Amino acid sequence: MLANNMLRNLSNSYERLGKYQEQLATGKKISRPSDDPVVAMKGIAYREDLARVKQYQRNIGEVHNWIDSADDALDKVGLALQRVQELVVQASTDTATPEDRKKIADEIDQIQKHIVDVANTKVGGKYIFNGADTKNPLFIGYPGETGFAVNGNQSDVEIEVFDGIKLDVNIDGKTLFTGIIGMLDNLKTVLNDPNSTGNTISSHLSQVEAQQDALLAARSELGAKQNRVEMMENRLSTQEVIATKLMSNNEDIEYEKTITDLITQESVHRAALSVGARIIQPTLVDFLR
Amino acid sequence: MLSTFHGLEVAKRGMFTQQSALYVTAHNIANANTPGYSRQRVNFVETEPFPPASMNRPQIPGQMGTGVEAGSIQRIRDSFLDYQYRNEASKLGYWSARSEVIAKMEDIMNEPSEFGLSKAMTQFWESLQDLSANPENEGARAVVRQRGIAVAESFNYLYTSLSQIRDDLGQEIKTGLLEVNSILKQISELNDQIKAVEPNGYLPNDLYDKRDALVDELSKYFQVKVETVPSGGNALDIAEGIYEISLVNQDGSTVKIVTKDGYSKLSVDPPVDPVNDPTNPDGYVSEIRIEDALGNITTISYDKFNDLASGRIKSLIESYGYGSDPNNVKGYYPDMLADLNKMAYSFATMFNAQHREGYDLNNSNGVDFFEMNVSDNTTGKGAAASIKVSDVIMSDLGKIAASSKSGESGNGNNALYLSMIKDVQITNGSATLPSSSGTTVSVPITGGTVQTFYQGLIGKIGVDGQQAERMKTNAETLATSVDNNRQSVSSVSLDEEMTNMIKFQHAYNAAARMITAIDEMLDKIINDMGIVGR
Repeated sequence: MLANNMLRNLSNSYERLGKYQEQLATGKKISRPSDDPVVAMKGIAYREDLARVKQYQRNIGEVHNWIDSADDALDKVGLALQRVQELVVQASTDTATPEDRKKIADEIDQIQKHIVDVANTKVGGKYIFNGADTKNPLFIGYPGETGFAVNGNQSDVEIEVFDGIKLDVNIDGKTLFTGIIGMLDNLKTVLNDPNSTGNTISSHLSQVEAQQDALLAARSELGAKQNRVEMMENRLSTQEVIATKLMSNNEDIEYEKTITDLITQESVHRAALSVGARIIQPTLVDFLR
Repeated sequence: MLSTFHGLEVAKRGMFTQQSALYVTAHNIANANTPGYSRQRVNFVETEPFPPASMNRPQIPGQMGTGVEAGSIQRIRDSFLDYQYRNEASKLGYWSARSEVIAKMEDIMNEPSEFGLSKAMTQFWESLQDLSANPENEGARAVVRQRGIAVAESFNYLYTSLSQIRDDLGQEIKTGLLEVNSILKQISELNDQIKAVEPNGYLPNDLYDKRDALVDELSKYFQVKVETVPSGGNALDIAEGIYEISLVNQDGSTVKIVTKDGYSKLSVDPPVDPVNDPTNPDGYVSEIRIEDALGNITTISYDKFNDLASGRIKSLIESYGYGSDPNNVKGYYPDMLADLNKMAYSFATMFNAQHREGYDLNNSNGVDFFEMNVSDNTTGKGAAASIKVSDVIMSDLGKIAASSKSGESGNGNNALYLSMIKDVQITNGSATLPSSSGTTVSVPITGGTVQTFYQGLIGKIGVDGQQAERMKTNAETLATSVDNNRQSVSSVSLDEEMTNMIKFQHAYNAAARMITAIDEMLDKIINDMGIVGR
């Protein structure tokens, strides 16, 4: 009976040692739901939360992609419009001959093609200015050529950045670019017309400025979105810290505590072994002749 | 007048009796480590004094003792402790089987971990979020498809593995009952032997021990009640008689399984042998049949299983499944399998409905994303085993309907709605899709979300497992403590046997010395007396 008891106590003691060792090896308080159902269930929910936060962070990367590319493209359009403005001023002087104006018109034609190229910017396989129809370019061909067409999808592209919060990441490319292209078309017509005077040409300056304003408005909208994304990003990184901490508090062991427990258990186990060795051995048989 | 050799006879009886006590001591020491052995002792009885009361008694003063004899050899056992032990053993059998089956289930569900169903669902959700950010991207689509396959395969794996374990449980019930039947047969045979020995005035101690060990074993499987019937004839008062054993129900009613006439055979109906006998593929037990020695059949039907007090068989049947027919099966594993079906069916149905609302890369409406063979829409039976990503999606990535509007390849709204499916609130078995269409889908899950439903499943396993483990530990502690008590009564203590040995040896030696003394006395009479003047 003593032997049985000792064996049972020893194996219990081994079991506890094993438990602590497993906790130390995995760093987790539990390895199966029945160890602590509440921790297990909470654990599933916390993992879920953490995965969510990490995914939204990835989505925000994509948002940055869209906004930065669009901003970069619009920057190029801005430079082009500046050049157009200079050219219009140059052409509006009455000393400019119709030939000079024709050359300027040619340059504007090239600038127009450049802007069409920019409008068809493709980032990561997506046309970023054609609304949600990202498989197709905004413009097909170049203005003045046969077959030139505008696709012009104006839907928002939305990306979820937090539960239920969606950001539309694109700007209305159709309105902006068709405005600019139309304005440039008008300019070309005026410049190619030998009857145009300096005054008629300079009156188009206000149109150029109007398009520059439209461009600026689009860029400031992008800037505002950028700010919003950055705020969301900060919130998400705080959330990540909180979610990680909650998960860790829920299921991770405190190493110092577990190691102390393990050592205590180890000494209990040693004591049990040595006591066992003492009580098991002698019987009356040992003392009889 | 006393006989001259009276003293010799007394001393001889003493020697014989002490000798038999020594032999019994030797028997005890030899069996010190035999499981189920109870130590034995010789009941010393004084022999009839001389002279007895009678008309022709000799006129001597007082009655003279005539020595000792071994009245009987009895085993030391407390039947009340046996009773206690067997009660605890059947509880232990019940809870340890319970805790084993739940531990297996926990191993298969493998939660919380990086490899369980919840991880697969989370990864699927992540891929759909990625798709919503890059809806035109073939790579994102391929990931959604692969993660979709992973979810489907997780369901398949869980369902198949759990069914496998359930089949194993069926085998275990079968072998358990075979074991029980063999025990009953052995007990009955021992009853017969005991019935043959006892009427001769003997105590078949070693047969008693064997029989009690078998009843201990039996009590792990069922809670039993033991009654004794005297075997008649010249049996001693302390003879234990024949065991009659009955199954005990919770209300205290009993069904006899061993009587003095023979033993019953236990089986379950329908037979549970999924491997060799596929007639019962869904695995359920509708009744326990008890066929007695005369061929009469008593049954305990499924709605009375709760009445069985405890024991391993009850626990196994509860885990395996029981009910009136294959469509009404309750039980731990069947419930879990049914819940997995419900979850798979609810998720896939909602997902498909949302997928059909979207548009694929070719601007046509979505098709079903998941396919499954379901025999019953209200329970989703068959869903978890058969769910897979549909062939259309498998052959063409472009068929994944990520867009909520025709012609917009950059629109990822439907992918976003798809990602919300697992968190769609279900009320009274009906769920409204996350898109603005307002379409409702009826699903087997009655409330909460797919995600919380699964958390609930895991939580239930956890709580049940913890309870089973706790009850098992309690029953184990009680059984061990009763067994300790029992052993302190019945087991062989070498110290005690050694003490007895010394006691009996000295008594034997003393009796032998008595013979020497009487020998000297007789020598005096025979050789030294009456030689005056010779």
